[in-house]
Amino acid sequence: MEKSGSIDSLGSKRSSSRQPSVDSLSSSSTSRSDRSAQIKAHSSESTSTEFSPERVKPKAAAKHIPRESDKQEPQLLPNETVQDVAKDVTYFCPFGGALRGTVIVTNYRLFFKCMDREPAFVLDLPLAVLSRVEKIGNASTRGDVSYGMVCKDMRNLRFAHKHMDDTLRKSIFEVLMKFAFPVSNGLQIFALQYGQVFPENGWKVYDALTEYKRQGIPNESWRITKVNDHYELCDTYPSTLAVPVNIPDEEIRRVAAFRAKGRIPVLSWIHPESQATITRCSQPMVGVNGKRSKEDEKYLQSIMDANAQSHKLFIFDARPSVNAAANKVYLKGGGYESEDAYQNAELVFLDIHNIHVMRESLRKLKDVVYPNIEDSHWLSNLESTHWLEHIKLIMAGALRIADKVESGKTSVVVHCSDGWDRTCQLTSLAMLMLDGYYRTIRGFEVLLEKEWLSFGHRFQTRIGHGDKNHTDADRSPVFIQFIDCVWQLTRQFPAAFEFNEYFLVTILDHLYSCLFGTFLCNSEQHRMKEDIPKKTVSLWSYVNSQVEDFTNPLYVNYSNHVLFPVVSLRHLELWVGYYIRWNPRMRPQEPVHQRYKELLAKRAELQRRVEELQREVTNRSASSSSERAGSPTRSITPVQTFI
Amino acid sequence: HRLSIFDRQPFRLYIFPKYYYIFVIANKLCKVFFFFYCMQHVLFPGEIVVNEVNFVRKCINNENGHDDLWGKLICTNFKVSFIPQEDPPKQNAHLSHLLLAEHDVALTCLDQVVTVNDAKGKKKVLGSNQKLKFNPTELILYCKDLRIIRFCFDEAGPESAKKVCLAIAHYAHPADLHLLFGFEYQGRRYHERKGLAKILKTAAEINESMPRMSPQTPVYDCPSDWDREIKRTGATEWRVCSINERYNVSQSLPEYIVVPASLADQDLRQFANCYSDNRIPLWCWNHPNGSALVRMCNVADPIAQKKFEQRIFNAITKSHPTCSEVIKLDLEKSLPNILDIQSAFCKFRQSCVIDPFEESEERWFSCIENSRWLEYVRAFLKQSAEIVFLMEVKSVSVVITEEEDRDLNCAVSSLVQLMLDPHYRSLSGFQSLVQKEWVMAGHRFLDRCNHLKRNDKEECPLFLLFLDCVWQMINQYPAAFEFTETYLTVLSDSMWIPVHGTFLFNSCLQRTQHLTEFAKTKAIPPGEDQSVYFPPVWEWSQQFSAKEQTLFNNPMYVGKSVARVQNGEVKTFKRTKKAYSASVKGSPASVVNGLRDGEGTLSRRVSFMSELKPEFSSVKDVVESPSERFFRDWFSRPFDQQGLLLPLLLPSHIAVWKLFFLRWVPEACIPKGGTVTAYHKLCQLVDEIEMLQCQLKHYKGPSPCITPEPSPCKPHSVQRRMYFNACSADESPSLPDFLTSSFPFTPVGNLCRRSTLGTPITKFLNGAKIWLSTETLNDTV
Repeated sequence: MEKSGSIDSLGSKRSSSRQPSVDSLSSSSTSRSDRSAQIKAHSSESTSTEFSPERVKPKAAAKHIPRESDKQEPQLLPNETVQDVAKDVTYFCPFGGALRGTVIVTNYRLFFKCMDREPAFVLDLPLAVLSRVEKIGNASTRGDVSYGMVCKDMRNLRFAHKHMDDTLRKSIFEVLMKFAFPVSNGLQIFALQYGQVFPENGWKVYDALTEYKRQGIPNESWRITKVNDHYELCDTYPSTLAVPVNIPDEEIRRVAAFRAKGRIPVLSWIHPESQATITRCSQPMVGVNGKRSKEDEKYLQSIMDANAQSHKLFIFDARPSVNAAANKVYLKGGGYESEDAYQNAELVFLDIHNIHVMRESLRKLKDVVYPNIEDSHWLSNLESTHWLEHIKLIMAGALRIADKVESGKTSVVVHCSDGWDRTCQLTSLAMLMLDGYYRTIRGFEVLLEKEWLSFGHRFQTRIGHGDKNHTDADRSPVFIQFIDCVWQLTRQFPAAFEFNEYFLVTILDHLYSCLFGTFLCNSEQHRMKEDIPKKTVSLWSYVNSQVEDFTNPLYVNYSNHVLFPVVSLRHLELWVGYYIRWNPRMRPQEPVHQRYKELLAKRAELQRRVEELQREVTNRSASSSSERAGSPTRSITPVQTFI
Repeated sequence: HRLSIFDRQPFRLYIFPKYYYIFVIANKLCKVFFFFYCMQHVLFPGEIVVNEVNFVRKCINNENGHDDLWGKLICTNFKVSFIPQEDPPKQNAHLSHLLLAEHDVALTCLDQVVTVNDAKGKKKVLGSNQKLKFNPTELILYCKDLRIIRFCFDEAGPESAKKVCLAIAHYAHPADLHLLFGFEYQGRRYHERKGLAKILKTAAEINESMPRMSPQTPVYDCPSDWDREIKRTGATEWRVCSINERYNVSQSLPEYIVVPASLADQDLRQFANCYSDNRIPLWCWNHPNGSALVRMCNVADPIAQKKFEQRIFNAITKSHPTCSEVIKLDLEKSLPNILDIQSAFCKFRQSCVIDPFEESEERWFSCIENSRWLEYVRAFLKQSAEIVFLMEVKSVSVVITEEEDRDLNCAVSSLVQLMLDPHYRSLSGFQSLVQKEWVMAGHRFLDRCNHLKRNDKEECPLFLLFLDCVWQMINQYPAAFEFTETYLTVLSDSMWIPVHGTFLFNSCLQRTQHLTEFAKTKAIPPGEDQSVYFPPVWEWSQQFSAKEQTLFNNPMYVGKSVARVQNGEVKTFKRTKKAYSASVKGSPASVVNGLRDGEGTLSRRVSFMSELKPEFSSVKDVVESPSERFFRDWFSRPFDQQGLLLPLLLPSHIAVWKLFFLRWVPEACIPKGGTVTAYHKLCQLVDEIEMLQCQLKHYKGPSPCITPEPSPCKPHSVQRRMYFNACSADESPSLPDFLTSSFPFTPVGNLCRRSTLGTPITKFLNGAKIWLSTETLNDTV
């Protein structure tokens, strides 16, 4: 066996994976490796003052600021202004104890630095990530005023400062509260002020017609309808919808009357070969009396007929059957399709719980992982949160859908109650399993734009951007769950996705940051009305301007590669890189990618050297063959790869 | 199918061209011989058929049973073999073993042999020499490598079925070590090779050129191996001592041991008396800073302890360059004992492979936790990391103690060395580590493996626990080890194939005695090297073809240009030292971390180590031990793959070793997924790089343009180091269908827990909540 150390001799060559168009002068972004980027993006406790988007300033806007001053001040974004500064504030770090330093509050961020340390300690986070800020205790405790902050990204912060002698002066944390909850205080969300220009325009990533065209729609069975052009059919749906060819718009309106919130069954995805489809909708309004709708029945029949391969239609109701039944009574006459009314349809309940259960589960998870993990009962504590069980049920549902469509060549209809939470999770996950396009970076952006944003997942309500009402029962981590499921898929299929873990973490960070307009508002109509695409920057502008940071080097675009994950707790893991990332005892891991990039650089170097030598040899042999006529010189052929 | 493997395997063409002709002939002879085997259902030298039965159905995991295989079940003195009537569809996924075919199980690998009569609702766990009062309709084999195999006798003759079952049970419980197949096999094999050599009249040459072990692994049976280790680690104040030659002093120590230079043989003989079995403290390893790792057993007599221990400790102190103190750690206080580990393993195995998949799914995490297996894995890693802290930071010598110094000490000392010394993270380094700290130090492999199935109370998967700890580190640092998890798995499986001298004995003395006796009975001339006539497991060509062995190579490995001892020359000490200092200072400019922004992470993490401000210490108590602080500090910095390596000890980072524990479970197998898909791609890239390097070498050779002979680097003539080879540019990327998360193993047909629903056997199997054991099951007969 050959010595294996040899691989390395060239590996030390630093490969610069830095994107040339991206400015690197700002702050301390000296490295573009997956790993460091991952640590830094939005890291709360870091000497690096940067928050990722700052690094992508166009050259003109960039100023070279010496490192020392980076540590002194946060580097402000365009239109970011300092609102207040307070010295002698104590930050209680749950890992390292109390630190005394300066707090700066801007209209975008909370910045804390402690210069007593070498190196300096810095905390830098967007205010929008705060879900709740509260004064703890009273001035009675040794004259200190203490503030606790609960963050949406799995951590809590605690500060204290001396009681203000100057009673006229507002505490800095009162200023902070004002800017942390702009919506509640009649202020603008920062995304509307942030005026950064990126080389790419992320608002152009998704165009409904282009995406339907990619799928081959319109075709002989499906057409694009403009019936919702002005959102009058359904105000939570996009303006462009794909529906069965043989259902005229008038009938569609009658179907809308029978579906909750007018969310009729529409096409999400069509199988390129079998023509089996995934359609989505809300629950039928059958009510306690079991109301029926001829139009709705006909509509579902034509969805089935559009697929010649199968004479069956599966209706996946994401809810547990008990909940679905309860909807008949309690929630304005909802319910589910009876198999009597819908001939050839089979109804399957997927047992996924509602937003309230999920919120509670994540809250428990936070208790278990933050700040410290208990050594002794980690697994049973994790189990008691049921978080992974919920993840499992969602993935299992999506897998059943994907399997029916791929293996059973059968069309499916997916809904929950309103069709904007669990339905989004299920259709988009099934589409990820079925269609490799969505596993690319751009494809994934399209998937989110389509299945989540255009179909009205209520981001504003579920996240509560800028709203101080943290007890709002409509908040729920539905989207986080989805991203977690995607991460689970990337773990089971490490070469099947073009994006890396950092991409997913970045999406979640900006879900809260309110820096980009992408996740603002509840629906397409709402976003249009607010003119979001004009007034804000898209997250995809930022991402697509430095795609390399988010790329999985192991990605291979295998053709027709349908992913069938094993949906078992044996393979589902807690996403430590997201949920436990604040814990300093964990080392962010992405060494495989790291190593692969090094090897790629090495291959390039070797190829270059081989080519050089080849040229040299060819030249030499040309001269020598002129001397010794007839000697064969073709023995060395350029070889790139061997079989 | 097997012929083709054989074709590739036996003599790899590394040898000098001068000997080439010998191998051509040898190869041909072997083929003829092998053809003869095939006629007799693949019998190996010394293997005999004990009993066989036809028309047996092997259950393949399938509810309706239509994938089941029909064939012949054979019991030999080596294995239980099932030969299907028709060849099943060809599977590329299978790791082909040279001694065992897909459906074979070595007798030593059988944990329990259970016979069942479905209709009568009877079952019996069969031992040696037992009677069976019913005709079995089924035979279930619970294997030590975690397979569960089921055969049905619905069409077979009831009497012959019974006979085969009894034969299997009988041969699975050998009365004596000599009866293990390896003794017969290696004896025959030795003479065959010798015979072949005689024909060719070049015995010496054959012997010499037969690759003993793929990478040379020192077995520490001679002073020079120890000497080299002393030099490599710079342990100048330590010496090789031969007072135990011919095992005069201790029966469980190796003949040569390393002791403080300041202690004379005379002193040692005196001290020896106070240790159980006269086990003098053993030197394991030296840190470049001079601190030593020493292992010893507890002293029984407290008076003797006071008297001698101080003198020994003084000697260890003297051997330290700065005469730093010695810290003694009693591992039994912080680690589980043999029984705990065995019981944890049984529960863990229960959850992983025995409980019905869907049923155990619900409470998976609590089952895993209740088994305590991962807790123990973590405890061993944690204890070892603590010792690393003492040696690395405090620069003190550490003495680990345990009652007998033959169990926990083996695991902990090896783990400490893996963390501190990159040499042991290479394939040959790792093998030498196992050889040094386990085999030579007298880990009772015979008892712990329970090969003779005599005393279940002595059985303990401690070595597997150690491999699991190593796996955790591979999982956390995938580029730091030269070998793969497949290697670890295969190494563990090799414990159950009794043809290697490595895992069969309790001590060196026992091995020597048995092998001397063996040599006598097999007419092997005295003076012949034991590892020639009874090779260790490290001679992987006994089990796998060169191609299959490439599965051991980790494409990601970041090696040094290599710290390997060759021909007794030691060149690496300085380099090693350098690597350490780099790791201490966390030099970010290391090869591996060149891409990383060291400073950013460094400062961020260090900042957590802030001390408490006195006025707030009451608010938040952050109590951190110095070692914890050191770990945290270390995690905050970029690390050198060739430097110190600490495991992440958060419970959230200790994972189930899925390849090992779940490889046979069909439901847990991810089709076209798992880490192997990344491995596949990495292999291809590394293969491409190696081909390019080869080309470069070729160009740099003596004026290539004038020698237009076939290039020596033409791919077919080169033994490729990677399992998957690069595909040509015009080929579209495709993922081989056979890649699953179980690769290179295949769960198909290896685990069969359910039969058709509702039969008594189903209830029985589902109801039996524990791996059947003779103590807990009442025989129904």
